[in-house]
Amino acid sequence: MSAGGSDGTADRPADQAAEEEEGPSQAGSAMPSVELPRKRKGEVEERQILNFNLEDDLCRSEEEDQQVKMKCFREPHRQIEKRRRDKMNNLIDELSAMIPACQPMARKLDKLTVLRKAVQHLKALKAGASGAFTDTKHKPSILPQDELRHLLLRAADGFLLVVRCDRAKMLFISESVSKILNFSKLELTGQSLFDFIHPKDIHKVKEQLSSSEMLPQQRLVDASTGVQVQADAHVRPSHLATGARRSFFCRMKHSRVTGKHEDKHSLPGVSKKKETYRYCTLHCTGYMRTWPSSQLDPEADCTDKETSSLNCLVTVCRLHPPVSHQPPKDVNIKATEFVTRCAIDGKFTFVDQQATTVIGYLPQEVLGTSCYEYFHQDDLQHLAGKHRQVLRSKEKVETQCYKFKTKHGSYVMLQSQWFSFTNPWTKEVEFIVSSNKVVSGPGNAKDESEAGSSTLAHEEAKQILEIPGLSTGVGMMIYAGSIGTQIANELGDTYRANSSPSSEASSPFGSVQEKCPLTSRSTSSREEEAGSSSHSQSLADSSKEASGSSEAECRGSFICLALFKHNCRSKS
Amino acid sequence: MTADKEKRRAISREAARRRRRVESDVFGDLSRLLPLQASVRAHLDKPSIIRLTLSFIRMQALLRETESAGCNAEAGHAVRFPRGVEAGEGRLFESETEEIAPLDETKMYLKILEGFLMVLSTTGDMIFLSDNVSKYMGLSQQTELMGHNIFEYTHPCDHEEIRHNLRLTAELGCSQKRDFVMRIKSALTHRGRVGNLKSTTWKVLHCQGRVKLCVASSSVSCLLLTCRPLPLSHTLLSTHTFTSQHGMDMRFTYCDQRVTSLLGYRPEELLGRSIYDLCHTLDTSCLNKNHLNLCLKSQSVSGQYRMLVRSGGYVWVESHSAVIPGVQPSRSRPNPSQPLCILSVTYVLSGVEEPSLQLSLDQTFPRYPR
Repeated sequence: MSAGGSDGTADRPADQAAEEEEGPSQAGSAMPSVELPRKRKGEVEERQILNFNLEDDLCRSEEEDQQVKMKCFREPHRQIEKRRRDKMNNLIDELSAMIPACQPMARKLDKLTVLRKAVQHLKALKAGASGAFTDTKHKPSILPQDELRHLLLRAADGFLLVVRCDRAKMLFISESVSKILNFSKLELTGQSLFDFIHPKDIHKVKEQLSSSEMLPQQRLVDASTGVQVQADAHVRPSHLATGARRSFFCRMKHSRVTGKHEDKHSLPGVSKKKETYRYCTLHCTGYMRTWPSSQLDPEADCTDKETSSLNCLVTVCRLHPPVSHQPPKDVNIKATEFVTRCAIDGKFTFVDQQATTVIGYLPQEVLGTSCYEYFHQDDLQHLAGKHRQVLRSKEKVETQCYKFKTKHGSYVMLQSQWFSFTNPWTKEVEFIVSSNKVVSGPGNAKDESEAGSSTLAHEEAKQILEIPGLSTGVGMMIYAGSIGTQIANELGDTYRANSSPSSEASSPFGSVQEKCPLTSRSTSSREEEAGSSSHSQSLADSSKEASGSSEAECRGSFICLALFKHNCRSKS
Repeated sequence: MTADKEKRRAISREAARRRRRVESDVFGDLSRLLPLQASVRAHLDKPSIIRLTLSFIRMQALLRETESAGCNAEAGHAVRFPRGVEAGEGRLFESETEEIAPLDETKMYLKILEGFLMVLSTTGDMIFLSDNVSKYMGLSQQTELMGHNIFEYTHPCDHEEIRHNLRLTAELGCSQKRDFVMRIKSALTHRGRVGNLKSTTWKVLHCQGRVKLCVASSSVSCLLLTCRPLPLSHTLLSTHTFTSQHGMDMRFTYCDQRVTSLLGYRPEELLGRSIYDLCHTLDTSCLNKNHLNLCLKSQSVSGQYRMLVRSGGYVWVESHSAVIPGVQPSRSRPNPSQPLCILSVTYVLSGVEEPSLQLSLDQTFPRYPR
């Protein structure tokens, strides 16, 4: 194979060098330069005399014996080898971290020792554990079936329920129900399901259990084509057949033994009933199954036993709500807080019912009117500024304390957080969400008396108010509502300014770059708060996103391509 | 001199071979100690043996932790069957006769859940996967998946979200739930056959579960997740559902008649309206997340949110949605410039709450009899 070199290990790199020289010219000039580090490394390894390294080196030398002719693959091959070794080393390290016997060692253990200790550890585990090795009925698995079942129910936050279709008697429930409904398995087994379902859902559940003709026709919606397929009458018997699927939501009683389940009002279906029961929403999925009645229900009377089989619904009931439902932490609704939603011109489109306790108006009295009609004159300037700011910012904007006119003419001090919601697809602002809280303070009473006396003055003052940035002609009267409309129109102008010069670039990112400097310059002069660089940055960002129709198309087609592949799959 | 060197090299080569044999023996011992099927064991390479060993050790540690943490009510063989029916471990209603096939309870759960179990370490290693994973991903449970890192198999754009979900907070006692959607590689062809790893497609998985905290050793803490591929066709068996189609901006383009009996809107009233306008403001972020999932991953399950009823009040609903090419009369090859739309199946979960309450502008408009 090769000649030269002094001792065994140092030979190998030298061998390679020798082979290089002998080899065909297609090895390329890059090869020799890569050789040198290899050689040095080989020498270092030799000094450490670690078993596996030595062995691997020799391993490779044998492999390379066979690859004398395939020089052009050697470099990537070496890299592959290196990666393979690194992976193996990482795995060995992980293994030694998991084995208690390897833990207290001062220096790093070698591969063979770690492996041997792993063998000992497994033997010890085998002696201690029962499940994995004594369960002969199932094929062997890293996790025994019983444990898997338990983990599944834990992960799914659910319990198994087997219920008779004709009488809705709960024949079987798994233990995990106690964690979810706070009832023990014994309390529920043999009971009627309907005793535990929310009264309004009984009809729905009956429908699911029913095998009669009243069951609505099975409808399939094929998402690959969006077509609804109505199943024909002859398909109905299949509802009874074993395997017919069921999927529905229902609310079940949750026994509140301790007071620890003080949930927020926003949890679905949580209605306080007289018997201090609460309901939690469950997603029940499963299928119909038939069993001989004698086996299932020993308590059943004789007439039952005559019928040979029993239709049951086997379902896993999973607890809802999932995490995403939780109201965001920053929108904590307490009694003195309420939430409103406005169109971009400030007109109320949604008012929380809790608003009434604060502002006196019922939601329907306020809906459709502009929020500016309720602001105090002193606050108009600052609130208009915040309004403008929120339409252009992706972040929440906090107002200072301001006065809000209540139904009775007095003012209440509020402080709000505004957030403009942008449609993720069109990138246009759709509405503003405002979470408002009452700021209590000694000043309230004073404000009320002031407000009462000077309402007339307010009306007049509003007419000659100057709000910087708003185009107010001399003598033009400003009504409260028009402030909001004007600010909204400004935004529309911003959008239009962005969309016009967009002829050339087909890539959405290309055209955005050009527009960015334009808009930031024109609007920054109007903004009072444009001092900080971060603000103008967010401005640039938001103008980047205020896309015209052509940009949206480009982006749309960009995403279209990515999803097209997906749809192609589902099509055929 | 050469002979001497040759001899030394031969000695060292022999020594290396011996060492390799010893190592292979130890690997063999290790693989025999693992609870594996013989057919699987025969084909394992060394890294896989280590990975499976790691999985086994970790799962044992996890189970020990579960028992010691006082969850004994559920640990191990917690599921007991009605009297007279107990038959064998893990069997439900076993029968001697042919007519009723014995049910494997775990398999039943997996079948009902329509998904597989995944145990994820905090670094993203898939410590354990239930064996039906090959049904959904087309990849072998033991050799290709277990012990590998999830980031190797998921869409790069979803990595950030996955990392976010892997982060554990140190608080004990409060149940840390997880619910997210991610795209994972699938080697299955759309017909359900196993292709090769090179022709993988993305499958959208809905992962739900919880965190399992281990107080003693943080390396044992992990995520327990059930992963369910989001189906592209739905079976509607309930009167309390309706379907709708939306543009990509979530404005209605179609709604089926059932919405009238459930929410009071006529389908025509809804066309062109944005879904955000029709829902309770506090649920904006929930809908937003759903919408983003749709734009990015093409499928989503919303959480629960409130839709406003036409005459006042609201109902709790949950929507399962997917992005599809716009419905065309001909079913031929989809056109790339075909507009996409969102198809939603919405389940109504509750009755009408607070029916007298008018919260939004729409609810204040009186209905004129036609």
